[in-house]
This record gives sequence, C-alpha cells and structure tokens, in this order.
Amino acid sequence: MFLLRRRRALPPAPLPCCRRAGSDGTAPRWDVLVIGGGHAGTEAAAAAARSGVRTLLVTHKADTIGQMSCNPSFGGIGKGHLMREVDALDGLCARICDQSGVHYKVLNRCKGPAVWGLRAQIDRKLYKENMQKEILNTPLLTVHEASVEDLLLMEPEPDRPGKCQVSGVILGDGSRIHAGSVILTTGTFLRGMVFIGLKMHPAGRLGDQPSIGLAQTLEKLGFSVGRLKTGTPPRLAKDTIDFSVLERHMADNRPVPFSFLNEAVWIKPEDQLSCYRTLTNAKVEQIIHDNLHLNNHVRETTRGPRYCPSLESKVLRFPNRIHQLWLEPEGLDSNIIYPQGMSMTLPPELQEQVIACIRGLEKAKMVQPGYGVQYDFLDPRQLSASLESRLVQRLFFAGQINGTTGYEEAAAQGVIAGINAGLRVSGKPPFIISRTEGYIGVLIDDLTTLGTNEPYRMFTSRVEFRMSLRPDNADSRLTLRGFEEAGCVSQQRYAQTSRLKAALEEAITVLKSLQFTATKWSRLIPEAPISTSRSSLTSALDILQYPEVTMELLARAIPEPLRKFAEWRELAERLKIEAVYEWHVASQQQEIEEVRRDEALQLPEDLDYFAIDASLSQEVREKLDSNRPQTIGAVSRIPGITPAAIVNLLRFVKTNRQRTEHIEHSRIGRASPEGNTFGKSKFQNSSLSCTS
Amino acid sequence: MWPGTWRKVLAGLSPVSGAAVRVVKWLYCPVGKRDTIFALSSGHGKCGVAVIRTSGPASGAALRSLTGQQELPRPRAVALRRIHDPSSAETLDRGLVIWFPGPHSFTGEDCSELHIHGGPAVVGGVLQALGRLPGLRPADPGEFTKRAFQNGKLGLTEVEGLGDLIHAETEAQRRQALRQMEGELGQLYQRWSEELTKALAHVEAFIDFSEDDNLEEGVLSRVDAAVQTLEEEVRGHLQDGRRGEWLRGGVHVVIAGPTNAGKSSLLNLLSWSLNSPLAPRSLCLGQRPAAIVSPVAGTTRDVVESALNIGGYPVVLSDTAGLRETQDAIEREGVSRARERLQRADVVLAVLAAVDVAPEPGCLAEALRAILPPGVPARQAPCVLVLNKADLLEEGRGGALLGACGEGALPPACLLSCKTGEGVDSLLSLLGTQLEQMCGDPLAGSPSLTQARHRLHLTSCLGSLGRYHGYKSLDLVLAAEELRLARRHLGKITGRVSAEEILDIVFRDFCVGK
Repeated sequence: MFLLRRRRALPPAPLPCCRRAGSDGTAPRWDVLVIGGGHAGTEAAAAAARSGVRTLLVTHKADTIGQMSCNPSFGGIGKGHLMREVDALDGLCARICDQSGVHYKVLNRCKGPAVWGLRAQIDRKLYKENMQKEILNTPLLTVHEASVEDLLLMEPEPDRPGKCQVSGVILGDGSRIHAGSVILTTGTFLRGMVFIGLKMHPAGRLGDQPSIGLAQTLEKLGFSVGRLKTGTPPRLAKDTIDFSVLERHMADNRPVPFSFLNEAVWIKPEDQLSCYRTLTNAKVEQIIHDNLHLNNHVRETTRGPRYCPSLESKVLRFPNRIHQLWLEPEGLDSNIIYPQGMSMTLPPELQEQVIACIRGLEKAKMVQPGYGVQYDFLDPRQLSASLESRLVQRLFFAGQINGTTGYEEAAAQGVIAGINAGLRVSGKPPFIISRTEGYIGVLIDDLTTLGTNEPYRMFTSRVEFRMSLRPDNADSRLTLRGFEEAGCVSQQRYAQTSRLKAALEEAITVLKSLQFTATKWSRLIPEAPISTSRSSLTSALDILQYPEVTMELLARAIPEPLRKFAEWRELAERLKIEAVYEWHVASQQQEIEEVRRDEALQLPEDLDYFAIDASLSQEVREKLDSNRPQTIGAVSRIPGITPAAIVNLLRFVKTNRQRTEHIEHSRIGRASPEGNTFGKSKFQNSSLSCTS
Repeated sequence: MWPGTWRKVLAGLSPVSGAAVRVVKWLYCPVGKRDTIFALSSGHGKCGVAVIRTSGPASGAALRSLTGQQELPRPRAVALRRIHDPSSAETLDRGLVIWFPGPHSFTGEDCSELHIHGGPAVVGGVLQALGRLPGLRPADPGEFTKRAFQNGKLGLTEVEGLGDLIHAETEAQRRQALRQMEGELGQLYQRWSEELTKALAHVEAFIDFSEDDNLEEGVLSRVDAAVQTLEEEVRGHLQDGRRGEWLRGGVHVVIAGPTNAGKSSLLNLLSWSLNSPLAPRSLCLGQRPAAIVSPVAGTTRDVVESALNIGGYPVVLSDTAGLRETQDAIEREGVSRARERLQRADVVLAVLAAVDVAPEPGCLAEALRAILPPGVPARQAPCVLVLNKADLLEEGRGGALLGACGEGALPPACLLSCKTGEGVDSLLSLLGTQLEQMCGDPLAGSPSLTQARHRLHLTSCLGSLGRYHGYKSLDLVLAAEELRLARRHLGKITGRVSAEEILDIVFRDFCVGK
C-alpha cells in the first residue's frame, strides 16, 4: 500500500483499524472520504477540505490523480461557463488550467459575451503535475492509494429517506476506513469495458483495471444502473504529420485566464502552440462502411448519444459530407497529437488505413489506437440536488458515474458533492445552486430530475436564463454564497469579489444617473450612431450598449466621474457586458422569481406516487416515482407531465397537508408552524406556474 | 403560465347546469372518491330533444336505476329505453341512452347520456330523479370540461373550443367551435410552433457549435428567412380581422343617425322580423317593442340592445340616442353614450329620413359624416346607409335617391319603411353581405381566432419575431432570446417545448459532437 500525504501533516495518517462513530461514541477517522482521483474526485476532495472537514482521497493509482484521460483541452462553450463557476467556488480546475495551458482561445467572440466560451489546449503532463501539487498541498486533505472493494453500511438515520447509511469503505486488502460521508467518483471504471474492433476487455481506461466489486455492491443495494458508451481517438506522432498542407489555427494573442484570481495565464502569448485543421473524405467513409462488421462498439445496442461522438457515427448519420478533424497538441514537449473528431473503434490496422488517407496525415504514425469504452452509470434521478443518494444516506456521487461526459461537468459535480458531503457531516443544510443561479444548477437539476440516457453534456441552450448566467459574472453569482453558506471560498477571494461587486454596483448607479439628451450624447460620442430623434433623456448605461461605445470612450467624453471606472480594465469590460444585457436581465427577473417560487414548493421526499389518491395516470405516477422531483418547479420540467397532473398533484399534496395540519391543530390546539414542505401560506403565496 | 389561463378558461365556460337544475334538491352522498355530476347539456328553453349527461363513478348505477334494467347498454351504442323515476317507478319518458365507460369517454370517467324529449316537464322530472340518486349532484359550471381537462382528455385549445361550443347559440358559431375542437386552429398553431422551434434550434446550434463543428454555411440566413415567413403568416392571421371574436360575442351593429330618423323603429322592426320570420310584417307594430318609439325627437336617451341572428351570424344590435346638440342633461348623456358606442361599433347602420335628404342628394355625404366617428373615411367604414320613411317619398324619387348614393363615394344604401316593413329584405341582405365579409364563412377560409387570449399571445410572439432581426447584428444571444420569447408566447397556446426537444432538432439536423 502506497501512502501519499499532504506536506503539512494534519491530521495523523489514517489507520485501517480506526472505529466508526456510533454507539460507542468515537468520532470517525475521516469526515469525508472520496473514492477516485479524476476531475470529480479531486474537486470533491479539495472542496470538502476547503470547507474545513478532514478529507481522505482514495485512488487506486495515486500517480493518475489529475490525469486528463481523453482530450487535451478544457473549456468551450457552456463548459467554460462551468469552469468559471467552479472557480467562483474556489475550485481547482480553472486555476490549474491557467498554469498548464499551451493554447488559449475564447470561442464565440462574435456572438455576445453571454456565450463566450473560454477554452484552452492543456499540456497533459503539466496539468497532472500541477493538480497533484495542489492536492498534496491542500490542508486537511490526505491521499491514500488503494482500491475500494465495498462500502461499510449501518442503520439509517430515522428521519430521512434511505434504507441504510454509509459509514466507510472496505479496501482491496480487506482493511476498513471509516468516514462521515463517502463520495463515489469512479468515472467509467464501474464494469468498464474497452472495445477495439472485435476485441474487448475489461478496463476503466486503457491499461487500468475496472471496479467490479463496487459495481456489485451498488447493484445489491438496489441502485438502478444504466450503461453508456464513449470513445477516444487514436493518437498520432507529431513529427510524422505534414502540417505545411493544413489550415493553422492560432491561439488568442491576449489569453483570457479561466480563474477570476488570475490576471494573466502562465505562458507568454507568443509561446503558445497552434492547432491545425484537416478534413475527412470519401475514402474515409468507404473504409468505415466496408468494415462495419469488424466494429463491435458501433454495432452494439448500448445507447450512445444523439450527437456524433465518433467518426463512425458522423459518417453513418451524415453520409456524403466532409467532416472536420482538429489536430491538437498534447503539450509543449510532447510528440503526441490528439486528432479531435476522429474517435474510432475499428481494428487498429484499419484505423491506420483511415489515418493514411487523410490530408496531412498520409505518413502519420499511430502511437495508440482509438478505442471505445462502455461502462455502468448510476441513474442520477436517485440523487437529491446535493448529490447525496436517497437510497443510502451520506453516500454521494459525482462525475461521469452520474451519466455526464466531460472534465468540466465532472468538476462541477465534484465541487457540489464535496461541499455537501462536508456540510452533511457538520449537520448543516445542503448547498444547492438553483437553475436560476448557475450552469451548475442547470446541470444538476437536469440530471437529478430528468436523468439521462446519453452522456450528458453542457450546452448553453439548456440554460433558461442564459443572459444572466454569464462567464463574466460567475463570481458575483456564487462566490459570496460559497463563502457564507459553504465555507469553501478563501478569505482572499471573498474580499476580491466583494470589492469588485461593490465597484460594479457603484459604477452602474453612476452610469444610470448620467443622463443627457440624445443630441448631447451624439456630440459627446460622435463614434456612436446615436439617433437624435429620441426626445427623452438617455443614460450613460444605455449609451454603453452601442457596439461602438466602450468605457474608455465614455470616460474620455466625461472624465469625471467615469475615469476611475474605465481605468480598472476588468471592471470596464464587465460594465460593458452588463450594459448590453441590462434591459433583458431586468425583464427576466420576474420570471426568475417565478421559478424560485416554484422551486420553493417542495414535495415530500417520501411521497408514494403509486399509492396516493389523486387523479394521476399510471404513466404520470411512474414518471414521478422514477424522477422523484423535489419541487413543483422540477415536476413541471419532467416531459410528459401534463398541466392537469400538476394540478392534481398539487391539490393532493395541498389537501393532505391541510388535513395533517388540521389534525395537528386539533391535537395540540394551535396551528402548526409552516413546514418546509408545503407550508400552507407558502403555497398560497405562490403562483403555480410552469416556468417555460 | 397555464394556471392563470386555466382560471380564465373556467370562467369563460358557460354554466352547463342552468336555473332549472339549481332548484332541484339533491341528496349529498359521498360515494367513492369523486362525486358523479349531471347536467342538462343541450340548450335551455324549448327544444325537440334535450340531452342530459352524467360523469363519475356512479354513472353506471344511475343509468341502471333510471332505466330499471340491470344490464347496461353496449358501450357507446345508442339504445332506446323507458326512463323511470326510481323513487316512484313512474315512467318519465322514452328516450335514447348511451353508456360511455371510462376512460374512453369525454371526461375520462364513466359517463352516460340521456336523449329525452325536450319539454320542461320531462327534463325537470329526469333531473330531479337524478338528483335523488346517491352520489349524484348537479355539475358546477364548466365542471365536465374541468374533469376532462384534469384527466388529460383535452388540450387548452380544445377546452376553449368547447367553451365556444357550449356558448354556441347560432349555427355559424357552432360550426366554428366544432372546427376548433377538431383541431384545425390547433393544427395551424402547431405548424407555426414546429417552424419556430426549428428556427430556434438552429440558432441555438449556431451558438453552441458553429466554431469547431462544421455547421453548413447559411444556417442563420435560412433562419432569418423562416422567421420572416412566420412573421408574415402570423401578421396575416392577426389581420384576419377580429372574426373569431365577432363570431363569439356577436358583431356590434350600431344604429345611429339624427333624431327622429326612425332608429328605434328600425331596431324594433329588425328584432321582430328576425325573431318571428313567418309572421306578416304588418303585425310588427302590434308586438311589444324592444325600444320605445314616439314622434317626439329625442325619445331614446340610452343605448337599447337586442341580440339577433342575421344569416347565421350573431349580432348585437344597439339603438342609440339621436345625434344632436341639446340642452337637456339626460339627453346630452345619451348622445355622448351614442358617440362612444359608435366608436366601438363593428358595423354602423346610418339611418336618415329619406324625405329629409331627397331634395338634395348631394348633402348625403355630409349628413353621413355627421354620424360616423371622425377620422374614418366614409367609404371604408363598415356602414350601411338606411334611408327610412320611404313610404313618405313621392313616387319615383326613391330610385333617384339610390342612384345618387351609388354615384358618390358612399356606403351601400337601401330604402326602407319601418312603417310598412318594405325594404327590410334588402337591408338584411346588405347586412348579411357585410357580415360575411367581416366574419368570413366559418366553414371556409383559414380558421379564425376565437380567443382574445390567442390574439394577445400571437401579438407578443410577433413582436419578439420582429425584434429578432433588430438584435441579430448587435448580439446573437439577445436575438436568440427573442426567438425563445416568441416560442414561449406561442407555447402558451400550443404547449411548451423543452430544451431536450430543441437539442433533438439540433442533433437531427447537424453533425455535431466530439
């Protein structure tokens, strides 16, 4: 057994023989135990530790902590939003990316700042090194190398749903580790199966053993498990590619950092590497078509995503087209190129044939073949919004095991699971991000109420309040809450965000109060095509909406009091964005309130949808039972739930509540206090609206 | 969004249980989880056949006791049965009964229908008998529909259509309501909904994917074209006039003109001749009139209304005070109400005394301008010029007068005598043509709007579609937001679309993903 410990030794090394809190009253050795050292696991462990609880990260290969097992990039449209939010909660991946990127680019620059997608090609080796350094330096966090075979279980807490509670884990060597909460982040390792051509063998990742014991335990406990598939492309040797014939794509000249804490990234703009684009052709299509019989992964019936994850599915679903392939560097001193878009599961020799007929890759050497992975995932509808399972108390799940794909999606869940596992141990209320507050909220709400049957990926189109939930303002949305409610944010970050938020508010007030006639504005700022036909006064904030106008320009026209705002570059950029969306965001506020009211209408956790006496069809009952919505807001988002069903459900829960209150009232001679589920007054104050 | 609408829907439904039902004493007996409701569901008043419906778990038992047979009729098949009062065993009627076991019924519950003779004694007897059965009670207004809605049997448009059906008092209304029930309007909205959803999905795809995945060229310009087409269609539909609303509430036809032109006589004549079409016109003066008529100028001081059916179209005919300057405070109020009513009129019947205008037909235009609301050019105003007191004209002058009307830029005109009833037919045919132009033949042409609510949402939808173009050059997210808003407004009519459905279209239409 190999033991890695953070440098500041706090607390002492865990002993396998430590006892569990409970009848004998001794405290568990660890507050939070995280299984898995991937993107969800590292974030979860670090978040739990940041929020002040003693945390143990158990991984079966400490050396793989922080490994980017698939593409060498982080971020993108929607994903970049998630990273900003992880960062706002003081998570790791954004900061590590700022130290490890080799090609930074903001996508969607021409489409509006609400959908700018921060993305970077990352040096795999650097990322892993920096992540391991960070994890090993996190106070209260210890790393332990072992495989986890089973969970330790005990009687459930009586006042909560769940048939038992987890109290620790049993390791591969039979030893036991006790913990207050356990977070499972085993990615694709649950009964993972790797496919290359007709060959298949059990593995979580090429060269790594799958977790079979845990999969069996979860199944025995009654978790409903599904199966998903994903894939990864072959890797190519850089020095065998002819880049001279390919389209070169340069990085941004001024790289935008992912983290709110950083003003710049580690690399000099001119030192960044380039990506290259090449295209498929008819020959590629032919090879794939001719060899479908040799391709188990593609033929298998396991449900794949609706989108096209592999070259095979692109060719099969959209024939006779040319598809793009991106050649991405894997690191500064790496000789490996990652051909994005070329995921394949053909036998290796055929993969080589495909590669050889692509422009620029005619002589390219395949370093590692592409392969497919099929793995178990846990139906995330069995989780509450804190990512704790309803079946087993204190057991949390985060990352790919919940049916998502992507590093960022995993990291986002990791942070939330880590925070909540810690809060659970401290007996504090869970930290939930609503759909109205962040992409993280949309991600977790979608997963826990709707579930998924393809690897879930974040898209901005999933987000109702896209204009409010922007990458630029993730800190003002989440950092203060993270500090105050979860304790997962450092004092330094909290202070920085508070300062910026105050400055933003002050500046917006000033900009709104500066009002002139359109004629005066067009004289002040001749650059902007201001229509002088408007007779009413126009504020500086309105003027800032014009594409031609910047804070700098405004400050030049009206130095006092605008100069100080314009000189603070970050503030000036954010003011410009605020101005563009100000009107729409304000008009969306009422709708956001409506959603929050619906989300305040909580449904009892233990509602037996098959038994309740309400006019609900069997189909609706089944949907409600499997989705277990926690609020009326969530009910309204389940497809196939009719307005009539919502009314009936509401009527049932409301009358039931009133009956209970009535009984309590007559029993104890006073009105029952408003409960957290369906308080009568809450109900009456709320508009029972669908949200979209 | 929908609960508010739902309340509105319920409020809009006509009472299915009328006054006759309410006087019935009924015994409350809780059976099962839900009451069984019953109501007279055909119209009130005299009719050949009356239909009484029941819905709820006790429907079957009720049918058994009324027919005195243990066997229920074959489901959804008509059966002739003797109908008894179970308490006295007295035969109330012989009628047709139909048994609709749930869930394949209008409300989704067990239902039955009794088609009995329409006399008040028979209907009252059966209703009373039903009310005495255990577990049955008279339905609240709209309760059948509400149950159907709750059991997922009706979509929103269908409920509204049904509301119209219940309201339908004229043939045309009934036809239109039926069409809506059958989903023609729903189909039109559904098609728009699909087109808008697709446009939105393509913009969303452009936002989420266009940079690394190769979306084909021209995605956005195709969306622009689709949005533009949709805008034109919705606008055209809205400009269809207020057809549907007219058909629902009746077209407001306002009689206006100077004092003593015979406006009130015209109201009486029209009301009477349309309500008893077979009676000779000359009897008209002997009937109890809707409005008081006298030779004294300024007799009518308030607005008098009468609901009519002209050529199948519902009409609310209003008589107004004669328009003149007056010192009398009450009459002045009457004149101002008349003016107000004229502003809101859908059709104006401008009444002038033929004898007054005959000497100088050139003044007709001027006289008309004094009646019609200012700002409306005489030719465009939906107006029919009625030249009353034709009986007082000299022989031959009538033709010349009408000829003069045809020459000038004047509305269609007719000569009429309220005294003899002559000319009513030509007035009715002019009016009928006018109504047909406004309301359209409800059996032909595009389905019209029947709900002000639809109009509201469609107007908002149109506004958002228009703003989409404006924002496109500024910020694509704002433009997409307008499409989302437009979709949501339309969704309030057709039902909402989830993010997953948008993604379905994205992945169906584009090769994206990695």
